[in-house]
Amino acid sequence: MEPKLLDHLFRHHSGKMVSVLTRIFGLQHLDIIEDAVQDTFIKASLSWRKEQPEYPEAWLTKAAKNRVLDIFRTLKAQKNNSPNITQGTDAIAINELFLDSEIEDAQLRMIFTACHPKLDPRDRISFALKTVSGFSIKEIASALLTKEETIKKRLLRARKAIKNADLQFNIPQGKNLQERLDSVLEVLYLIFNEGFHSNSKDQLIREDLCGESLRLCQLLLNHKETQLPECYALFSLLCFHSARLEAKTNLNNEVLDLKQQDRALWHMPLIELGNSMMFKAVETEYFSCYHYEAAIAAEHLKAKTFEDTNWNKISHWYDALYTLQPMPSHLLTMAVIAIQTKDYKIANAYLKQLEPEDLEQRAYLYYAAKADYYAETDNVDEAILQLDLALNTVTNTLEKAYLLKKNQLGYFSYNYFKK
Amino acid sequence: MKDFMMIFVGKEYVDLGMSPEDLQSRMEKWFAWGAKMEKAGILKGGEALTPQIRRVTGKDRTVTDLTSAEVKEIVGGFYLIKAKDFDAVEEIAKDFPDYDLGNTVEIREIMVFDQ
Repeated sequence: MEPKLLDHLFRHHSGKMVSVLTRIFGLQHLDIIEDAVQDTFIKASLSWRKEQPEYPEAWLTKAAKNRVLDIFRTLKAQKNNSPNITQGTDAIAINELFLDSEIEDAQLRMIFTACHPKLDPRDRISFALKTVSGFSIKEIASALLTKEETIKKRLLRARKAIKNADLQFNIPQGKNLQERLDSVLEVLYLIFNEGFHSNSKDQLIREDLCGESLRLCQLLLNHKETQLPECYALFSLLCFHSARLEAKTNLNNEVLDLKQQDRALWHMPLIELGNSMMFKAVETEYFSCYHYEAAIAAEHLKAKTFEDTNWNKISHWYDALYTLQPMPSHLLTMAVIAIQTKDYKIANAYLKQLEPEDLEQRAYLYYAAKADYYAETDNVDEAILQLDLALNTVTNTLEKAYLLKKNQLGYFSYNYFKK
Repeated sequence: MKDFMMIFVGKEYVDLGMSPEDLQSRMEKWFAWGAKMEKAGILKGGEALTPQIRRVTGKDRTVTDLTSAEVKEIVGGFYLIKAKDFDAVEEIAKDFPDYDLGNTVEIREIMVFDQ
């Protein structure tokens, strides 16, 4: 019996092939390229049924090279925008583009293209998942809990923007690199969060999104010009969060908070990897929001038990984070920490600065925090009222079950630190 | 032992917008199924068919070229196997990977001519 193929081999290779072929033919031919790549995988899936090649990856790379000729013929037949592939680009040069380092380079170009300011921020994630990560429209829709139609529209809009702006397929240089990198990191962070906070019943989809985000971030770290402190910090943060992915839900897919999580299930190798990346991240004067988030995540991981958590330190990092990134959700967390440390006056001061609308879909967290606050300060009637409000506004079914359970147990304290 | 053919009828992958991930997992299931039959020593042959059709029909031998996208269903491939009877083949056909796509396995016995 032949060995099983690598997990996600097709998906990853699809992203690689689309990127390399785009480097050869240009972004304006993305449609033809994606069709050709899709065709390759259909053919592989049919012919490998009987016999798998000895070196599947080499087989796929060879197939991608063959597609270069196919696409060239297609374009020639169409006679529009025939690429100047013959001008100084010979077969040897094309072969070089299929070297591992060059494939990574092409993938980075695709990530930077997906995060170009000409693309609507909402379209960037879908476009990146489709082209760099090899997800289908259906998979993106199910990962982002959105309709397939919506994803189709986003992809169309992204392509149109790329065509209209006649974007070049490259990694920006100098000052442009820094700006675009911010957007790249944000997209990777969002892809991760979609996976990490998803209430999709499909555990696989969640892990896939988190894994993709880590993989793409790793690509940044492999590239000389993007080996930057904030990239290391994000990678470290993603490692810390991923380490808890398994412990975050129980066998019935119920959300477990930090208090309930079995800390023995935390994945040590990922924590260690995150720690070593953090050492590289802090070789800088300037800390990004990812530095602070990673520091907070690390602090939670350091505690042997929930009771051992160093709230003062976490509170300190949140202060710094809030200064850099004044978001209502940070303020809410600061209020919750103050409740933990029994600094009720401070907690109340934070809560007073907030309105439930500030937190949009996560307004239930605001009500839950208030319920905690009132429960801790012996105002049970008000606590119950707030908990009811939380239950009325929560949309995520897993979170709702979590709140209901607390309600039944008559235990108000809502624990936020499962993030 | 008799000879049977399992004929696979339904939609083609090419018309379903399938993802590389999905294709890989189906391919692995097909591969495992084929290996299982081979191990049992019952597999006699089989092929996948391309989605192009040239249809010749009627006394005028009218010719139409079609692709899988233009027909409701298409024969996608077949396996030729040895088995005791229809029930035994039905058991084997349970591992067909594409039922969830609405695809079908038709089991047919190879006719033997007795003199």
